[in-house]
Amino acid sequence: MNSFFNRHAGEALLVRYLDGELSLRHARTVAGHLESCSACRQEFESLQNAAADCARYRQNVLAAMPAPPAEWRDLYKDFARIDQSLAHEPLLVRLAQPLVHAGAPRWAMATVMAMLVVVGVFFYQLRQAPSVQAATLLKRAIAVAETKTHSAHRIRVRTAKLDFTRVIGPQAPLSAAAPSLEPLFTEAHFDWNDPLSARSFEQWRSQQVHVTDDVSTLAEGYRIRTSSPEGEIAEASITFERSDLTPVEERIEFRDSEWVEFTEIAESTTEGGSIAAAPKVVVPVRPAELPSRSGALAPEPSASISTELQVLSALHEVEADLGDPIVVSLTNGKVLVTGRAGLMPARRQKIQTALAGMPLVVMQFESMQPAVIQPEAALTPVGGMATPRPVIQTRVEKQLGGRAEFDRFSTQILNSSDEAMKQVYALHTLAQEFPANTERQLSPADRQVLSSLSRDHAAVLSEKVSTLESLLLPTLSSLGGAPALVHTAPQAEWQSAAGDVFKSSARVDKLVSIMLGMTPSDGSTSSLPTDLLSALKDLRSNLDTCQHLIAR
Amino acid sequence: MAQLFADTRDDLYRYLLTLGVHPPKAQESVQEVFLRLYTTLKKGEKIENVRGWLFRVAHNVGLKVRARQSTEEGIAPELEIRLTSPALNPEKDLLERERMLRFHGAVEGLSEQQKRCIFLRLEGLKYPEIASALGISASAVGEFLRRAMARLKKVRDE
Repeated sequence: MNSFFNRHAGEALLVRYLDGELSLRHARTVAGHLESCSACRQEFESLQNAAADCARYRQNVLAAMPAPPAEWRDLYKDFARIDQSLAHEPLLVRLAQPLVHAGAPRWAMATVMAMLVVVGVFFYQLRQAPSVQAATLLKRAIAVAETKTHSAHRIRVRTAKLDFTRVIGPQAPLSAAAPSLEPLFTEAHFDWNDPLSARSFEQWRSQQVHVTDDVSTLAEGYRIRTSSPEGEIAEASITFERSDLTPVEERIEFRDSEWVEFTEIAESTTEGGSIAAAPKVVVPVRPAELPSRSGALAPEPSASISTELQVLSALHEVEADLGDPIVVSLTNGKVLVTGRAGLMPARRQKIQTALAGMPLVVMQFESMQPAVIQPEAALTPVGGMATPRPVIQTRVEKQLGGRAEFDRFSTQILNSSDEAMKQVYALHTLAQEFPANTERQLSPADRQVLSSLSRDHAAVLSEKVSTLESLLLPTLSSLGGAPALVHTAPQAEWQSAAGDVFKSSARVDKLVSIMLGMTPSDGSTSSLPTDLLSALKDLRSNLDTCQHLIAR
Repeated sequence: MAQLFADTRDDLYRYLLTLGVHPPKAQESVQEVFLRLYTTLKKGEKIENVRGWLFRVAHNVGLKVRARQSTEEGIAPELEIRLTSPALNPEKDLLERERMLRFHGAVEGLSEQQKRCIFLRLEGLKYPEIASALGISASAVGEFLRRAMARLKKVRDE
């Protein structure tokens, strides 16, 4: 056995490392040690294999488990019962009371309660405003609809006075018996040709200046409810099926209290004759507006760079584009999302949910298998544990006033530098996947998505770099460091500027880990304060250029 | 709450099955757990880690239900093993199948605590969450998992 790991301590550490339970600093140390020690690496691989077997064992066991024998109950009824049985009303409920005031039905209370709970518990999920959620969901539903063949389908149309069936689609039979609803929709700028569709809903929604969105997840799917203070339509809600985001239900409420409901009629019969025979009234309909991209109508739709962008955008929403072991690539007309070994099951599930219903996306997840050293560790090779403490580390420690201060300092620095590197990787990946000439071919909407993604990463990176600066500048300056002149090459595209950011941040990261004694230096460390200050200045200048070019 | 229920109920249900609770009872228990969550929150109590809380309560409810149910109602372990194999190619994966059967045996042979830790870990819970579910300390979770993994690793490498 080697000097670093005695048997039990080593095993415990490796199990915790495998489970992602170590602090960043410890994890780096272990990753570095694994690189240099084959005995521990073998041990770790063997643990990984056992963990992979555990995962398979669980799958086997779960596959053998019967599904729930009955439908899940509607818990809200029970919640209402609980509401009644609780004699006195606690604080939380009193707080909720004004919201559901006067005559509101009991279930509304339950809903408010549930919302309070959800807000309290899953506030991170709600960091996305409902309007962002709604826009994303609609965008996804539109993308799904574009990949489907536009065969005729039937919808049921109900109003306070009317109830009829309509055929939507290119083969819709022509008839003159149109009810008086069309003008209503035309005036409201809501597409009457294909009213029950994500596209029409989004078209209407995007025309409104002030909208309030509400997105809810129902057992059967997702519902977006959008209300608008101006225009003919006061509120519209649309429900999408969970599995493939097909719009199944829609309700439009006009400001004059007229309402119209559309319901998709499941296609159990053959098309043609039965469609024409079934409706009580058949309304003439033009073919639904065709999607602009010609590729979408090809018999076998294939993924484009735009699809890939949507995938990246969806991953960004769940923050899965930052350091998770995930690779996104465009292969054979599909967007391939590969989750590498080491992706935690909960993360995997989140990613699967985020990408569910997206067409042309193939997900594959590797089970925990041969040792994969984390990318950050690969970038910053950590030396063996026997390396003597470099002079610079002793100097920094002395400067800070002791070992404890040094430990705190290095944890802070490593965390910020790691956070910064995550953003750098994400930005770099975007720049590589969407080089300038590819970007120019994107539609304006896609370009906007790309720009907002890169802007996000650059902005967060800028914050992290500021933290690093505020931590490092005082110490390094007092160690006699003075930044050298910055010599940035002028760049015309943000992509190449992002490349510079990548290089300079990798240098900062490397110098930081030399300073903290996590990487052996390849020479003297006497110039490190100056080198690191210069690298930081370089990074800042490259990042400024990059941000400037993104904003352009 | 609807979201939370939809996201978590299947995990909880299956966890209860692995505890040996009979399916209808397991489903009932999951619903019961959510009603308790609702009641608890309505009483103004704060729950820091809801997923951990749900598993902890499910665990306790599950143990009580299991104690009440007669033994033949539970899922026989042989069932799991029998169902493990048919999906695999009998010729090609014979060795693999045997290895997996041995592994199943090894997992069955772990202590109850070790097994629970492994199952909850596979549900994606972090050590402190597992600790809260089982009512033990996070470092104890680490130790249970270390022992379990050491044993499973050994069986695997034999």
